This record gives sequence, structure tokens and C-alpha cells, in this order.
Amino acid sequence: MPFITPLALAGLVFVPAVIAMYMLKLRRDQAVVPSTLLWSRLLTDVEANAPWQRLRRSPLLLLQLLLVIALVLLAARPFLERPAGLARDIVLVMDTSASMAATDVAPNRLAAARAAAIDALGDLPTGGRVSVIAVDRSARIVVNDTSDLSRVRQALDELQPAASRGDLGDALELASKLAARSGDAQILIATDAALATVPTTKVDAPIKVLPVGRERKNQAIVALAVRTSPSAVTRSVFISVANLDIESAQRRIEVWGDDRLLEARDLALDAQAKSDVVIDDVPADVAVVEVRLVGRDPAAEGAADQLAIDDRAWAVLPPTQTRLVLLVGEGDPYLETALSYLPNVELYGVAPADYGPASQRTDGRPWDLTIFESNLPSTLPTTPILAIAPPRTSALGVVTGTLKDPGIGSLSPDEPVLRYVDLSTTHISQAQQLTTPDWARTVIPGPKGAPLLYTGVRAGLPTAVLAFEPRRSDLPLQVAFPILLSNLTGELLGGSAAPTDAVAPGTPVNLTIPSGATGVTVTRPDGTTLDLVASAAGGASVSYVATGLPGIYTVTPIRPAGASPNPSASGGRSPDPTPLASARPSGSAGAPAVPIDPDAPVRFAVDLFDVGESNIAPGSVAAIEGLGAAPDPSGSPGNGAPTDRPTTRDELWLPIVLLVLVGLCVEWALYHRDAVVRMRRSLVARFGRQPGGTT
Amino acid sequence: MTEGLPGPLTDAPTPSPTGDRPAAAGTRQAFLPSEVDPTVFDEAFLRQLERLLLLMRAPVRGGLKGGRRSVKRGQSVEFADYRDYTLGDDLRQLDWNVYARLERLFVKLFVEEEDVTVTLLVDASASMAAGSPSKLLFAKRAAAALGYIGLASEDRVAVTALAGRTARRRNSLRGSGRVFRLLADLSAITPADGRTDLLVAARHAAAQLHGRGVVILLSDLLDPSADRVVRELAATGSELIVMHILSPDELDPVLEGDLRLVDSETGEGIDVTVDLSTIDAYKARLAAWKAGFADLAAKRGASYVDLSSDVNLADLMFAELRRRRVLG
Repeated sequence: MPFITPLALAGLVFVPAVIAMYMLKLRRDQAVVPSTLLWSRLLTDVEANAPWQRLRRSPLLLLQLLLVIALVLLAARPFLERPAGLARDIVLVMDTSASMAATDVAPNRLAAARAAAIDALGDLPTGGRVSVIAVDRSARIVVNDTSDLSRVRQALDELQPAASRGDLGDALELASKLAARSGDAQILIATDAALATVPTTKVDAPIKVLPVGRERKNQAIVALAVRTSPSAVTRSVFISVANLDIESAQRRIEVWGDDRLLEARDLALDAQAKSDVVIDDVPADVAVVEVRLVGRDPAAEGAADQLAIDDRAWAVLPPTQTRLVLLVGEGDPYLETALSYLPNVELYGVAPADYGPASQRTDGRPWDLTIFESNLPSTLPTTPILAIAPPRTSALGVVTGTLKDPGIGSLSPDEPVLRYVDLSTTHISQAQQLTTPDWARTVIPGPKGAPLLYTGVRAGLPTAVLAFEPRRSDLPLQVAFPILLSNLTGELLGGSAAPTDAVAPGTPVNLTIPSGATGVTVTRPDGTTLDLVASAAGGASVSYVATGLPGIYTVTPIRPAGASPNPSASGGRSPDPTPLASARPSGSAGAPAVPIDPDAPVRFAVDLFDVGESNIAPGSVAAIEGLGAAPDPSGSPGNGAPTDRPTTRDELWLPIVLLVLVGLCVEWALYHRDAVVRMRRSLVARFGRQPGGTT
Repeated sequence: MTEGLPGPLTDAPTPSPTGDRPAAAGTRQAFLPSEVDPTVFDEAFLRQLERLLLLMRAPVRGGLKGGRRSVKRGQSVEFADYRDYTLGDDLRQLDWNVYARLERLFVKLFVEEEDVTVTLLVDASASMAAGSPSKLLFAKRAAAALGYIGLASEDRVAVTALAGRTARRRNSLRGSGRVFRLLADLSAITPADGRTDLLVAARHAAAQLHGRGVVILLSDLLDPSADRVVRELAATGSELIVMHILSPDELDPVLEGDLRLVDSETGEGIDVTVDLSTIDAYKARLAAWKAGFADLAAKRGASYVDLSSDVNLADLMFAELRRRRVLG
């Protein structure tokens, strides 16, 4: 029998040591007895056959010798060698997508995959190396090229099912590159094969799939939206529930608004079908809507389906907030009218001559947008700016002249400012000739590279410059004008600091940092927080990527110590600029518009909404294994040379440990045999004798 | 026979229900002489003992008239037999009724009632001092009880202590009035220092016996020659009763572990590893040892009673010895 550490056999020197200890004379306690007559007779009996009797009556010595030998063997690590079932280099791909949280196998598919992977790695050849790739929304290496299986086990234990779909194609590409490092590599994929899209990536190494999962009982919320009704009075919740099982199901939908149960409705879901639910009359003060898909019978034990992560969904209702817009100009009725019809906008006007420190608001709130119509102040305000036909060169751009009848250049279809804007019939009589600054992008190109509209972020402030006055074109007469103005002010005002639509788990989110804030604090659905600070001074936004947990995320601005979200204006105060109009959004819910609080938390929701991932039916193992290289007909597990077939070692520690444990138990019983026998005798004496009978 | 108890009784303390010990151990009762160990007996126990008689297995030849049937024909009221008249016979013994019918002279014979000597051999070796309660204390109390029964039966009672290589015999006593002398003799017995040769001491005691009688040996028999002691005492012609007294610690040792056992008499020690199997072997050896004495006693016509020193003395007297036909 070979040993991994044969030097440990030197521990057999303890065998004679144990025997020597038995040969040492004991130091005995003295006990005075009336007479040793009977004891000496007894001792004579014992000593009559001393050598054999002692050997036969010293099972403790034999047991201790056996234990010493077993422990030495254990330290020497004996093993048996056999052909390995895996290649020398293993790339283990662990599917951690949302479907791996399915509980059709206890406790879930990921745990079963973990156990299957650890079991499979038992066939790893001696000295074999393992890399582990976890794949959910993207693939990532969690263990790279190690022969330490305990490290692999630890990494596998730390994996948790994600809430996003799995990109197995990405994982196969990564695994293929890792496998290419070795001449004898094999890819193991522990997955349920419930893939929304089957990858097509071909890899050179053989693929072996460790399948988990066997059932497909799941119903999921696949869509959730809250819309304001055309009457602008109520809001409705639109829910789409899919039954991905092959049997019909009875479920219940619960709609919660700010943790209040708004409505519950029972659903009868046909097999492999969707069911849409509309819940009307959502109260106006509800900020967050949560939809739960529960069992029909709340008292029933166990989960109603086998995947819980898609049984809840959230939607954030953006608050109606007013934006304060200051128009500095002589007064363009087209412009004023269009601005006044923008939703949630309070428009104020001031003549250029009156613009200055006195035009600050007395309530301390800054202007959300300042529009300069054919004029520019000597000092630009620290607010978002829309400059219309700037008369001179400034920080907003360089004015090089005037353009007569400028034509509109080729427009980008992906430009968000031009969404739904048709400028094909627009004519402009006169415009300022500008050059696009470095901080801006051209939205409406003009002749010879001179932009007619550009926008961007200047010193942390959204800024746009329109090269022409609307009244010097026919644009105000077209439907494109209010749309363009809406899109433009929407970009300049920033809208919400967070996405209004649901975010897929794991998707990065661009969070706007309010003016004056140094960063934002993101509170996750599980209560953990993360502070995000802008990468550069004056940065207007940060990217947040830890959106793996479905639920509501809350974003709170971080203000520097002592800073006020509403800096008061310096100098004297003057009466407020004249409000030109106060508009409500045409689609508002009728709730009074509230002013924007820069420090008010902003929420966004992360929802799975992925039918492909909610479909937990195990997929085709052969389709995945077919992406790998064909197995070697010689039986070599990897893509290496068949003559170099690796072997693996099975250490024989388990039977030795069992032997040691049994030996210890027997030794204990022998050592305490008197107590055991006494206890047995007392039990027999107590219970063995029947009343009036015999034992 | 309670009138045989001397001394005032009114001031005696209330005896314990068992009669095993005085109510207040160590407090001297008013009627006890100073040389009597007050822990041996109390009044109530003495009164109970009066109702017992030693049950003799066979009539024995004694000396003075007593209350015990003799092999001789004598002057009692119990008819035994007839024999032909010979010259010199007491004419008062002739049965004139038979003469009237048969015209032959017959003399009526009656059972003679004589006394016997009850010899109490108390082993006073050092090993008898061991045990809890002490075997010697138990032996002295049992001897006192048996001796008092003998006195109450108008027998002679003699106490002999076996210690060292000698037997110290006290004067024989007769009559229940000598009970306190008996108690004093027993109280004077103390454990011997050093080794006791029980065989030599027993031979010495046997040499001091006068005629046939009852010999009661109270001993733990922890002597290599104990079987010869039984044989030789049985060979004296007296009826031998062996009361084998062992302490509870000897009957069921509580020893455990690796020990050096030291003999209380010789001071010699032996190394023993005591575990349950050793205890079991010891008990088996003890049972065989006691069975050997029982067999030997049966073969020699002696009575063998094995006792534990924690046996209640009243139970011993009123139940155990009656069950074994030692008392009647």
C-alpha cells in the first residue's frame, strides 16, 4: 500500500512506548484490610497463568497498540490509485442564475450543483488544477488554476444564486480561454440548463454537464407598470403573470402600496400562458407599489411554486414636482407658451436689464433652469442654462458670426433630444454661427459644421445652446416645437435622478448627483448602504452596479458638512420675478405639485421580469455538451494525449478514522466496563424481575 | 424468668424498639455494673433473651442437676423406661401397679435433667477489630446473648478469648443472676496485637474444656488453619456451633483500582488491581470458602452460621438462629 507521507511511519516507535508503559510498575494506593487471606488466594489464581492470562486480560493494551498503529497509518496517508475520470485541468462553470434558486431539489439547485461539482472533482487526477467560473449576468472567475480543492470548496460554498439571467455563452468564452492554457483541459458545467438563450459559442475542450433540477412548476410576474389614467385622476397598476408550468395553477395577486394592501385578486392561470391584471384606483399618495404572487391558500404550507424570486415585483411612482424655470428675455410669446405647457414647470420671466442678483428667489430655492433669450449676463449663473441665440462669445460657446437661412444637417436617429421631433419642414431665417465646444455634442447640425443646437455638461451643469431664435423660424408653428422644447428642458432639468423604469438585476444604473452634493448614498433592499462619490470634482453622475438584489433602492444625496441644499442668494433681495405661468402636467394625477427637494430620496426598482429565466424547466444537456470538443475515443477525459492518461488517488482515511473511533469507543467501554456492568445489573435488578416471576 | 434480673429497673432508660442498642449509646444504665460495656446490652434485650432456650440437638451428660434432658435416668417427672428390680434399688421407684398385675418387680426409670457447659470461644484476633460495625463487637454481643440464654437455661457458661497463641478461659458461670459477670467477662475482651494463631489458641481452649457440652466459636475464620480449628473443636465431643462473622466490607468490598492491600494482623501487603471482575472472583472465592466451612461443619456434626456484622442482633437471635435450629 503506497503512502503519501511515508515518513510518518516513524511514529510506530510509539508502539514499544505503549508496551513499556504497561510494564512500568504502578504506584499503588494502600488499603488496610482485615486479612489478605482471600485476596492472596485470588492473586494466586491470577498469577498461576500470568503471561497468557495477562495478555488475554489486557484488551486495553491491545486496543491502544491498535490505535497507535491506526493513527500512524492515518498520518502516513495511505491511498489507492485508479484512473482519473477528469482531465488534468478543469474549468468548472457554476450557473448562478436566478433559475438555480429553484427548490425542486432540496435545498435548491445551486446547492445540488455545488454537491455535484464537489463529487465530480473527486475524479480529479493527482495534481490536477481547477478553475471556477460563476456565471449569472456575466461570467467571472472565482477560483483560478488551483490544485487546492479546499479552496475550491470554499469558493463554491460562497456562491449564491443571483437574481439575473445567466449568460452561459459569456462563461463558455471565458472557459474556453482558460482551457486553452493547458493541453489537457475539460470544462464542467453545473447547471440546470434552463437557458433563455442557448449559447452558440464553440469551445475546443470537451464539455461535461452536471445537470440539476427536474421540475418546472413556476409562475412569475413578468411585467409591472403603473400608469396614470387619461382622466389624470387615477393611476392603474398593470401586471402580467405567466404560468410557465405545464399544468394550470391557482395563485393570488396582492398589490401593496407603501406596505399597505391595496387589493388581492385570485388568478386561474392556464398552463404555459400569461394573464394580465389591471388594478385601478391606486391612491395618489402611494410612492412604491409592490406586487406579490402568493398561493391561493395562505395557510397552506410550503411555497406555491419552486422559484420565489419572480413572485415579487416593485414599481416606483415618481412624485409630481414642480421645476422652476427663469426666462430672461424681452418676451417671445411662442417660447413662453410652449414653456408654460411643459408639465410640472413654473415659468418666471425677467427682462435682461433686470437680471442680476436681485433676480434670485427670496425663498432660497435656486432656479432649476435659466433660459437666456438673445442675451447673456456677464456672469453666468450656476444653474442649468439654455441659451437661445447667444449674442456674443462666452463660456457657452464661441460666436463667429451670423448664418442666413441655414439648412439643417443630417440628424442622428438616436439623439434623445430629437425623439419624436420632425424637423424636415423647418426653415430658419437667421441663426448665430457657433462652434461646438468640447463639453457639448451637436444635436442639430447646421451648415459647414456650425451647430444649430448643441447640449452637454459644462462644469457639472447641463447646458444647451440653440443658435436661432424660434421666432426667426417656422419651428414654433410646427408640432415639433413643443416636443423639442420638452425634450430639451427634460435633458437640462435632468428629470429624476434615477431610472423610472424597472432595472434588470445586475444592470448598471447612472445616478445623477444633485447640485451641491458630493455624492449619493444608495440603500439596498436588504438595508445595506453604499456611499458613491463622484469620481471627479464637479461630476454630475455616478454609476451604480450592485443592483443584483430585486427590490427598491433608495438614493440620498450626500451633502458636505455645513452645506445647505438651498444656498441663499447673496446681496439684496428683490421681489420675485414675475411668474409667467404655472403649469401642471397634462397627465398628472391631480395631486398638487410639490416643489423639488434636492435632498429628497430618489427610488428606483430592480425587477427580474425575465420569462426566459423564470422558465425553470431543465434544458437540453446534449445541446450544451455539443458545444465542446468531441470526447477522445481512447477514453482520455480531456483533450490531452491518450497515452498520458492521468490517475487519481483515493486516500483511505475514512476506514482508518472509523477504526480509530470504534477503537476509542471500545476502549472507553472497557475502561468503564465495571460501571457499565453495574448499571446493567441494577437495571436487571430493577426491571428484570417480574412481580411474582423470575428474571 | 425476668425475676432473675438483679438490680433496680425503674431508672433504666427506655430501650429502643429493636433492642439492638441502648437508646442513648454510651450512657450507662443504672443496673449495669461498672465493668460491663454499656454498648453490649440493654434491659429490654435481656428480657427478650429470657424467652429463648438453647435447643440441644441431643441429650448430653452433664454434672449438676439442670434444666436440660440428660442421657442418664434420674429424678425428673418424665417417664423413660422400666427395668427389673435389683437389690439395693430405691423401693420408692417400684411400680406397684405393674407388680399387682404381673407379680414382678419393676423399677420405673425417669429422664434425668442435668446442666451442660456452654463455652463461648470469642476470636479476639486483630482482624476481628476490623469492619464496620466491628466484628469483635458483634461477636461479643452475640456471645453475651447466647451466654445469657445459657444462664437462663440453668446451664454453665464459660467465656474464652482466643488471642495470640493462647485461650484465656474465664470461670464458668451458672444461673441467670451471673449475667453481669458474663457481660463483664465479655467486655474485658480486647483485640490482640499482632498475629493470632487461631489453631494453637483453639487447641489451648479445647484442652480447658471439662466434659462434653456446647462450644460456640465466634470468629471470622480468617486464618489459614481455620478448617483444622473446626475439625479439632468438633473432635472434643462437645456440640460445636460455628458462628462465622464477616463484615459488610469483606462480603462486598468497595475497593477499586490499583491497590496495595495490607493485612491488619501481619502488616504484609499484596498488589491487586481491583475491578469488577476481580470483585466477582473474590466473591466467588468467598462463597466457596464459606461453603467449605459449611460442608466441614456438616460432616463433623457441627452447626455453621455465617453472619454479617451488620445483622440486627435481635433478628439474629429471634429469627436467624431459630431458623437454623440453634435456638428453640
